[in-house]
Amino acid sequence: MTTSTGLGSYVGGQLRGPLEHVGGFARMCSLTGKALFRWPLESRELVVQCWFLLRVTILPTMTAAIPLTVLLTFTLNVLLAEFGAADISGAGAALGAVTQLGPLTTVLVVAGTGSTAICAELGARTIREEIDALEVMGVDPIRRLVVPRVLAATFVATLLNGLVIIVGLVGSFVFTVYFQHVSGGAFLSTLTLVTGLPEVVIATVKAVSFGLIAGLVGCYRGLTASGGPKGLGTAVNETVVLCVIALFAVNVILTTIGVRFGSGR
Amino acid sequence: MSDVAATRARFPRVVGNVERYGGGPGRALDAFGRMVLFTVSCVGAIGLALRRYRAETLQLVAQIGMGTGALAVVGGTAAIVAFVTLSGASLVAIQGFASLGNIGVGVFTGFFAALVNVRIAAPVVTGIALAATVGAGATAELGAMRISEEIDALEVMGVRSIAFLASTRIVAAVIVILPLYGLAMVMAFLSPQLVTTVLYGQSSGTYSHYFRTFLRPDDVFWSFVEAVVIAGIVMITHCYYGYTAAGGPVGVGVAVGRSMRFSLAAVVVVAMLASLALYGVDPNFNLTV
Repeated sequence: MTTSTGLGSYVGGQLRGPLEHVGGFARMCSLTGKALFRWPLESRELVVQCWFLLRVTILPTMTAAIPLTVLLTFTLNVLLAEFGAADISGAGAALGAVTQLGPLTTVLVVAGTGSTAICAELGARTIREEIDALEVMGVDPIRRLVVPRVLAATFVATLLNGLVIIVGLVGSFVFTVYFQHVSGGAFLSTLTLVTGLPEVVIATVKAVSFGLIAGLVGCYRGLTASGGPKGLGTAVNETVVLCVIALFAVNVILTTIGVRFGSGR
Repeated sequence: MSDVAATRARFPRVVGNVERYGGGPGRALDAFGRMVLFTVSCVGAIGLALRRYRAETLQLVAQIGMGTGALAVVGGTAAIVAFVTLSGASLVAIQGFASLGNIGVGVFTGFFAALVNVRIAAPVVTGIALAATVGAGATAELGAMRISEEIDALEVMGVRSIAFLASTRIVAAVIVILPLYGLAMVMAFLSPQLVTTVLYGQSSGTYSHYFRTFLRPDDVFWSFVEAVVIAGIVMITHCYYGYTAAGGPVGVGVAVGRSMRFSLAAVVVVAMLASLALYGVDPNFNLTV
């Protein structure tokens, strides 16, 4: 009896930390969901946050999207040329840009820069006890701070997805036509061969869910940061890790669902 | 001199704007120069770090492999890298199977997995996972040390702080990446096979035939070299941002974000340059059906 109690308390002690985090995250998510429907929305804060996130993420998006485009187009074109189908390189580029490049770059940028920026900012406020002060004054931090940030992250991720897809299409056109000497007409005419509205809709759905998750994780870790400079650094670090893991997992699931509804079959 | 002061006083906003936007390129160049200086000095101090701070390096190897704090709860760096490459590689298989099936060559999924995973997906995904776990952790740690003036204390005690903190971490990352990338490769080979044969029901003989035929040892070797280079660059970047953090607790958070932004671009650029250099002239595989 005593051994089982000892074992139980040991397992309980080990699981306490992670379970507390899971519970806290779930609680924050439900509170955010509830606060979402309580009007009026903090529209001013929303606009400020959108601007902040766009400013932080737009440069990394470009610097990550252009090399990835070149990499993808290069490999796909080598492959297609080997099949003897260099003419349909437009189809490959469009498929790659819309279904994979857009969501994947959005994942990396939103997890690596968007959520870290949110977490660093909110974490700094938590450590300076501004959040406690807000609560004392009767202001709900979830409604005032979290909801605008989560909405802004979702909105910005959707916009970034569009940006990456455009960069991907234009970049692969330039690379294919001017560097790998495929005819430009063939590239353009095959662009929509296997990529249609379903792919674009799925890519947008992916981006929306990535932005939502990244915003929620960033806000949660920011609000629970503690322990001075080291604690804030660790919080930001954990945000990146959790976001990367969660977003990759979600990406796999959504891609599996997405290829069922794909066009071109 | 007084003219300058008078102009400043007369048009403060114009002068401020000119300094803000006109001085941008100069400041960027300045920051880049500092980064290069840091890189040169910490790479140059690697010999010293190996001679004098061997125990610290060994400890860091263990720490980087296992992860610290809450990261250790989910299984440390190894588990995270394994999971992320697992999902990245299965993504390649899912999309590859569907798209190749569209043009009637679904049997080539094995070939596609062997090619894309080894050449692109595994190095990029491992690099990102490494930056997120180990790199961002190092920035947080060094940044906290800088803010609480521990780095200055080290210098006062006569410890060469760049060698002790940065060079040892770079060596440790380059050592740790070898087994980690081995694990990532195994995951990147296993997951597309499972997805294609178990989930999509392709015959496993077909899959392994095309997979084995087009898995070239040369590619795997260069992929490892790429991963080591990425690990070194990621670690230098993150150590730089941590070492130069400023501005209280907020500064540490900001530094972690900035370092992630930089290493995100760096990983992708390294992968692109490596791919163009290795396979640009000769794609190095012959597909004869």
